[in-house]
Amino acid sequence: MSRVEPLRSAVPASTRRHPARAGRGAPDARPKRRSSQRRREAVAGFLFISPWIIGFLVFTAGSMIYSLVISFTNYNLATGSTTPAGFSNYAELFQDPKIAQSLGNTLYYAVLAVPLEVIVALGLAMVLNRAGRGSGFFRTVFYLPKMTPVVATASVFLLLLNGNTGAINQFLGFFGIHGPQWLVDPHWVIPSIVLMTLWGVSGTMVIFLAALNNVPRDLYEVASLDGAGPVRKFFTITVPMISGAIFFNVIVLTIAAFQVFDQAYLLFWRDQTNASPSSSLFYAVYLFQQAFRQFDFGFASAMAWLLFLIVMAITLIQVKLSNRFVYYEGDR
Amino acid sequence: MTARRRLLATASIALVAAGLLAGCSSGSSSSSASFSKDASGSLKAWAFDNADDVGKARLAYAKSHLKGVDISLDQTTFDAQKFTTRVASGNVPDVVQMDAQFVATYAAQGLITPLDKCYSIHDVSPSSTFYPSVRADVTYDGHIWAVPQFYQPPAIILNMRVMDKAGVTPEQINTSKPDELVAAIKKMYVANGGKPSTMGFDPVASGQPGLWILGYGGQIIDSSGKPTLDDPKNVKGLQVLKQIYDAQGGYAADKSFSDTFDTFGKKNQFVTDQVGAQVDNQWYVNVLTPFMKQVQISAVPFYASDGKPFTVSSGSAFVIPAGAKNKDAACAWALDLDSMGAWKAAAAARASTIKATPGAVNTGLFTGSPAADKFVRDTYVKSSGNAGFDKTIDTYYDVVGNGKSIGTSPAGQQIQTELQNALQSTLLGSKSPSAALKDAQSAAMTAYRQAVKNSTPSK
Repeated sequence: MSRVEPLRSAVPASTRRHPARAGRGAPDARPKRRSSQRRREAVAGFLFISPWIIGFLVFTAGSMIYSLVISFTNYNLATGSTTPAGFSNYAELFQDPKIAQSLGNTLYYAVLAVPLEVIVALGLAMVLNRAGRGSGFFRTVFYLPKMTPVVATASVFLLLLNGNTGAINQFLGFFGIHGPQWLVDPHWVIPSIVLMTLWGVSGTMVIFLAALNNVPRDLYEVASLDGAGPVRKFFTITVPMISGAIFFNVIVLTIAAFQVFDQAYLLFWRDQTNASPSSSLFYAVYLFQQAFRQFDFGFASAMAWLLFLIVMAITLIQVKLSNRFVYYEGDR
Repeated sequence: MTARRRLLATASIALVAAGLLAGCSSGSSSSSASFSKDASGSLKAWAFDNADDVGKARLAYAKSHLKGVDISLDQTTFDAQKFTTRVASGNVPDVVQMDAQFVATYAAQGLITPLDKCYSIHDVSPSSTFYPSVRADVTYDGHIWAVPQFYQPPAIILNMRVMDKAGVTPEQINTSKPDELVAAIKKMYVANGGKPSTMGFDPVASGQPGLWILGYGGQIIDSSGKPTLDDPKNVKGLQVLKQIYDAQGGYAADKSFSDTFDTFGKKNQFVTDQVGAQVDNQWYVNVLTPFMKQVQISAVPFYASDGKPFTVSSGSAFVIPAGAKNKDAACAWALDLDSMGAWKAAAAARASTIKATPGAVNTGLFTGSPAADKFVRDTYVKSSGNAGFDKTIDTYYDVVGNGKSIGTSPAGQQIQTELQNALQSTLLGSKSPSAALKDAQSAAMTAYRQAVKNSTPSK
């Protein structure tokens, strides 16, 4: 590129319209009018988004600040009182072996689940993107699992994943594979939860589908004329063109993976009279136990903040890495 | 943004945060454990299930004794998260029904009120009203914290059809003689392609860990509430369970198999001969009565290592939250629901229901009170015409007085979870029983220390 033209928005409006006046400070009534109009527009804008801002401040930011405060205290639920605890709750994070165990389980789940979710969702989106007639029907069908309550899904998966009679092992049996004891063998507990997660991948699929629809068809036509095959076109056109969507999904799915709770809780921890394999103890499940079984809200809050810092660090790394891999049309 | 605006924004956020903090910190007020006999006003009860004839009769009885009290029921089941939210907002019900095993944890946190004075002011003696093990389940730190109800002792239901076919006698299903028991299990066990189709004996290890540990002389929680999972006497129970599962395909295969049982349905494990014997709580006999013609059952008690019949206590209990507004009515209502009069009314209602239902059998009520149990058994439990069912009902009545409490601790639930972990590791063969119990003890002690940290001294 020989010349880079600055974005218009980066240049002050007054300078753009009257370059000669820039820096002179010449009196002009129009900028003032524009300024007051812009302020009115800004106020209107803030008013429109104020329900969200209030909701965010009260239910998210407020709760976060409060949890930060009680993470430095021992909170007594009975009296609603707190006693200062300094950093003892944070120190306890390093002394409780369950923290490392549950974080390890969660990390393993995230490493398995996120790439698989992206691959499966993208695969489904590509299939749907090629569907001609009846694509609306198939989109609805593919999206149905997302609409199914997790409790119902968990009940079905308890049957599907049964090591002796479950449909998954029956299916594997056709190929001569002796399926594992998914829900009992500690080595297969997390993969079984990942399988259940993949059932609800259609939300991610819809985002990919929208991204795929936005890829210009002429790029594929030109590539075909150049003799590119489907694999080449996928890696040189599709993936770069939807890299923004991939990046978004990876970020969102990673955050969700670190907060995984429902699947493990419903499959293993809901029934307290049943044995729950320690490999299904995810960080969010242990946090829940600390808060609502042990009533140790100070420690649970410290756990929440540790998770927040971990997720934030991972997200920042992902954002940093994205500069190398993500293509934004407007940037180039 | 100018410095002034930044200051303003910061001040606004701080103000909002302060408001939130102030709002959130307005918890329940501290409780008083004094009670008066004069019950009046409105009473809000939560989690009492009055869906069946027994519940309705008890409720009607209690209502008739509390004429000046307006009682409203929230029949949704107890939920710890909901309870916590209600406590934090200062909007607690006056009386709550919860699992008896939770009581000590809630007591240690000061979330519920000690009921010693509630009992005394109504001239009810817990020691003469309840089985010792039932009373022990709701006693913590020298105080009684709940009004217990429904004690469901576990025993072993035998499937005589499977046993007869394998040539096994009820005497061989004797948990005090593990080697004989394992030999009998092997005779009854049937597998197809390595997968069980009949378990000789389902010990329900994950549902009844207390029975197996205490039955072999072990201890889970000591008198001060500390976990004692690494007690050397606890090893025996785990060893016997491992032997039992290994004799019939291993824990993983057996667990997956038992998870498929149609426990409450027409094709339950006794109808379809999927078990030769199984540890069950007393209520399961009620599930089997409609299938009397399709099953051939009997029962034996669980025998402790000393050869004596043994069981563990369980059940639910009424507690009064620390912030309850009408403790006097709550106390009177809970005691009325659990009184001899209420159980008599309930037993009469059950008898009427059974009379009106062809083929129904009165298996009795297991109330938590020896006097009430005796009354119900003597008055209403008659021969069903099926010797096996009669023997089963008698077995549960005979063993109910031999119960032992698992113990109470501020970290009771976490200790049970750690015991389950030890159990699983042992049964799957990933750890030896002693190593698994040692690890479980370490984790349970961490949970105990965390629980004690926030505990509130009893009032």
